[in-house]
Amino acid sequence: MNYSLLSLEILVTLLGVAVLLGDLWIPSSARRLLGYVAATGIGILLTYAVGTAAPPDGTAFGGMFVVDALSNYFKGFFLLSALVVVLLTIGSSESISGYAEYCALILFATVGMLFAASANDFVLMFVALELITVTFFILVSYSRNRSGSLEAGVKYLIMGALASGFMVFGIALIFGSAGTTQFYEIAARQTELGRSPVFLIGLLLTLVGLGFKIAAVPFQMWAPDVYQGAPATTTAFLATGSKAAGFALLLRVAFSAVPDITAHWSRLILGLGVVTLLYGSLCAIPQRSVKRLMGYSSIANAGYLLLGVAAVSLNGSTAVLTYLGGYIFTVLAGFAVIAVVTAQSNSDDVSAFAGLGQRSPLLATGLTVSLVSLAGIPPLAGFFGKFLLLKSIAAHAGSERLYLVALLAACVGVVISLYYYFGVVRAMFWPRTVADLTPIPVDGPTRLALGICLIGVLYLGVFPNALVQGAKQAAAGLVPQTAIAAQPVHAVHH
Amino acid sequence: MDAHAAQHALAATPAFSSRPEDLAWFILLLPLIASASIAAGVRRSTFLSATLSIGAVVAAFVLSIALFLPFGLGGYVAVPSTFSWIHAGDLNVDLGVAVDRLSVLMLLIVTGVSSLVQIYSTAYLKGDSGYGRYFGSISLFTFAMLGIVLADNLVMMFVFWELVGVSSYLLIGFWFEKPSAADAAKKAFLTNRLGDFGFLLGILMVWSATGSVQFAGIANALALHPAALGSLASIAGLLIFCGAMGKSAQFPLHVWLPDAMEGPTPVSALIHAATMVAAGVYMLCRAYVIFQIPGAWPAPLGFLSGISALDIIAAIGGFTALLAALMAVQQDDIKRILAYSTLSQLGYMVMAVGCGGPAAAMYHLTTHAGFKALLFLGAGAVIHACHHEQNIWRMGGLWRRLPVTFRTFAIGTAALAGLPILTSGFYSKDAILVSALDGGHPVLFGLGVLVAAFTPFYMLRLVIVAFFGPARSDAASHAHEAPAAMTWPLIALAVPSVAVAWLGLGDFLSAHFDPHFHAHEGGGIFGPFNHAPLAAMFGTGALLFGATAAFGVYWGVAKDPLPAQLGCLSRAMRDRFYFDELYEAVFVPLHDMIGRLCGAIDRWVFSGLIIRGVHGSVELFGRGLRLVQTGNLQTYTFLFAAGVAVVVLLATI
Repeated sequence: MNYSLLSLEILVTLLGVAVLLGDLWIPSSARRLLGYVAATGIGILLTYAVGTAAPPDGTAFGGMFVVDALSNYFKGFFLLSALVVVLLTIGSSESISGYAEYCALILFATVGMLFAASANDFVLMFVALELITVTFFILVSYSRNRSGSLEAGVKYLIMGALASGFMVFGIALIFGSAGTTQFYEIAARQTELGRSPVFLIGLLLTLVGLGFKIAAVPFQMWAPDVYQGAPATTTAFLATGSKAAGFALLLRVAFSAVPDITAHWSRLILGLGVVTLLYGSLCAIPQRSVKRLMGYSSIANAGYLLLGVAAVSLNGSTAVLTYLGGYIFTVLAGFAVIAVVTAQSNSDDVSAFAGLGQRSPLLATGLTVSLVSLAGIPPLAGFFGKFLLLKSIAAHAGSERLYLVALLAACVGVVISLYYYFGVVRAMFWPRTVADLTPIPVDGPTRLALGICLIGVLYLGVFPNALVQGAKQAAAGLVPQTAIAAQPVHAVHH
Repeated sequence: MDAHAAQHALAATPAFSSRPEDLAWFILLLPLIASASIAAGVRRSTFLSATLSIGAVVAAFVLSIALFLPFGLGGYVAVPSTFSWIHAGDLNVDLGVAVDRLSVLMLLIVTGVSSLVQIYSTAYLKGDSGYGRYFGSISLFTFAMLGIVLADNLVMMFVFWELVGVSSYLLIGFWFEKPSAADAAKKAFLTNRLGDFGFLLGILMVWSATGSVQFAGIANALALHPAALGSLASIAGLLIFCGAMGKSAQFPLHVWLPDAMEGPTPVSALIHAATMVAAGVYMLCRAYVIFQIPGAWPAPLGFLSGISALDIIAAIGGFTALLAALMAVQQDDIKRILAYSTLSQLGYMVMAVGCGGPAAAMYHLTTHAGFKALLFLGAGAVIHACHHEQNIWRMGGLWRRLPVTFRTFAIGTAALAGLPILTSGFYSKDAILVSALDGGHPVLFGLGVLVAAFTPFYMLRLVIVAFFGPARSDAASHAHEAPAAMTWPLIALAVPSVAVAWLGLGDFLSAHFDPHFHAHEGGGIFGPFNHAPLAAMFGTGALLFGATAAFGVYWGVAKDPLPAQLGCLSRAMRDRFYFDELYEAVFVPLHDMIGRLCGAIDRWVFSGLIIRGVHGSVELFGRGLRLVQTGNLQTYTFLFAAGVAVVVLLATI
């Protein structure tokens, strides 16, 4: 077996262990050093992963683990996400008790995400997801002296356990009816399996587990509470890495394992997407807590992404991947600012952001760019993904009315989102009440993280070509060779 | 791939070759670069702003000379230098510069006068808090004006036309803390917009009939099908003229120009002498081909047949010239006298275009640009010396205290009055009178002669009252000559006021409009008396008459004797024949009413019913949905399980 295929996973694990062990010898006054070590390590791995030295395509563990364009595409973003989050934690290394464990847990969660990107088997998928979820139980409740954080941790634990329960039950049903858990083998037999109710129920329950991860309606209840209660850096990781991992698996299951059944259920996925995006957008309107607002925004974005899945086409999958690429930079930039401001004022209320334009032009610019990009306004990264997504939906809107409805709903959602995103922008630059105007200091690593994200948002907004090409390549690899012939009627390929 | 196409479009930048006509692009862009960098950062530094702005415009002037030599004098024909800008359906607009005799001459005027005005401004505005902003605006204005001059199509001209409107708004309202200045800026902008609306309609009409917005394309199309515009030929011409009516302040849109004197005096010199108001006349000359086609009227206006658009333009020009001259006679504010004189001279130029003499109009535009800028800057020096006193009756005896200003001002006055042989104004005015005579408009010729008599009268009134006699105020008795930065531009402008006509400018321009033109035998400086003695004699007679009258009435008086002699006529002239009051009484309430109606619809129907209604219901819905999110874990798990049931149910349907 070719262990070099797992080199990234192994190295990140080793890095996590090194950080844990380093804590034993390094004096507590120099903890910050561990953060730098972790960040440097991830940075090196990131350049390695997106560079030419990335492992060649192949499979390991008898086909359970696959390295292809899709896995490489996601792994780059997971490492980037981990890098930015670690950079954001360095500033508060003194105030977090057990900083080394916090760093190590982020790295272990990253390992889970890396595995998720490569999972080609329901069992590996479950293990990877559990690795992510279990580390997040701890990460969410890491501010032990804050009851909100503990409450969020308990909610995430119980809801997560429930979702895992459904998922493992679903996998059992799949194995029971198909006799295998590997995606390619199931894909080869999907016509026959598609007639088995036990298999279909099992598949649905598995998708429920993924729906929980990406916070799609009706499995979204946890998101606002957990986003609000968790430490801001955890929320940043939850909103980017964890969500992207959910979508990596969803795409893999939907288009590698059961493309025909996905096409059959496309209207269900579309409907859930529409409900999810409208729910997120509408609930975000009255929010006063910026973190909670980002929770609802995250739900709304899951809705948009589901529309891309429901397009059941190469263009749709490309749009989902492009959208996620821009989304990760955008959301990380936003949370970088939120982390600094909430740490400064011990509050994540909109009023804590009032007058940020004067307190720290850098932070205010960062959050504004992030929110404007989330709203999908050119020339920022958020625009192009949304544009491609709506375009992939519009391709079906002429023939199917439900897609037209979805298109209109997405447009309505965009308009509503302008309202609540710009509410925050208005508070930053044109506060209603005269707020505290003391300048907010921003430490070096946070500046670096914010800089990376902002450059990414602007660059991908103006020159989206490379990202779109990468996404297209990744999406093209999704369709298993055996399944091409059996593509449904409205799967459009160019 | 869409991303690909977008990238491709971004990458398509024009490639400049090294042809001499491409210099025009640099001339156009230099002031823009100066303006942008002043706006971007250097505004705070007075020295840097002034240096950048003046450096850019002087460089543009030097480049203009470089362009004038081959294309103005050398007889080279420029190859069109264009790149594609808008392609939408049938509408193709290329961004291009027209480099020919007309535009290179105008480039010289605009950059030259703008350079001198900006140098003069460094002293005039010393210590003003908006110094940087001033130079940023004036550079923007220069850019806009150069755009009009160089535009080779109507759409590009219209864009810069509007930009001139905006930048003149900034300049007229430069002292915006003064309500009168803010109002004047608004008035100028709105009055111009009124004319621009007609201009836009005219452009659309010409485009739909000829299929082109390029001047060359229109000329070709009209040469092939002179009747392409059908029964709308005259209407289209008049709509185009509407644009000139606004910018060149022709009756009835003349009301903005006198009020625009609220801007700093150098701005008045730039806007009201050489650039903005000249744009209207320039545009008429540029688009002259549209007016040359046979006139035609739609059926309801059939009674106008026999009268062409040009006839109407000539009549409006002549009327404006006389009206403004009458108003100028009874003004006491030194800048307002000059403003009405500008109106009057613009009327002259428009009349010349209407009489079929665009060359004469451009000729007068050129000479007028020089001596009117000189007069305005001289007036600025007087105002500066008298501590912002603008009433000529509170001046007096200034010739001894401001020798340079007095001498240059006197040269400018002589040129404006049309002193034969010695001044440029005589030749260009003579050309206009000749074109009225040749065009078969004896009435307009008479009108022109009448105005030519009024012009020396009101100008000498100004000079006699302000510069001679005893000082009538403390400020006037303690006046001191302005600093060198202000007097040198005066001297520089005095030179062309005398000399420019001896260079054969009239023939130069005639040859542009008429390829078959041959210079008259026996030209030279006595030319006018040789080949059109009637016009030259009448012009000289009018000058003598007006000058004698001015000396007779105003020499040695302390108070204007005319109001007592003319009674209510004098009051009407002073009050501008009540046009402002008339507009205020008729149009303002009408506007108010329409505005209030639209406001009510907007407030109650759009904002109230539609926007607030939708916003309210969405917000209510959001608040309602939020109640689902109780924070209670039992509820969450229940809803989760229920959700699973629903999804399974939906999937199995």
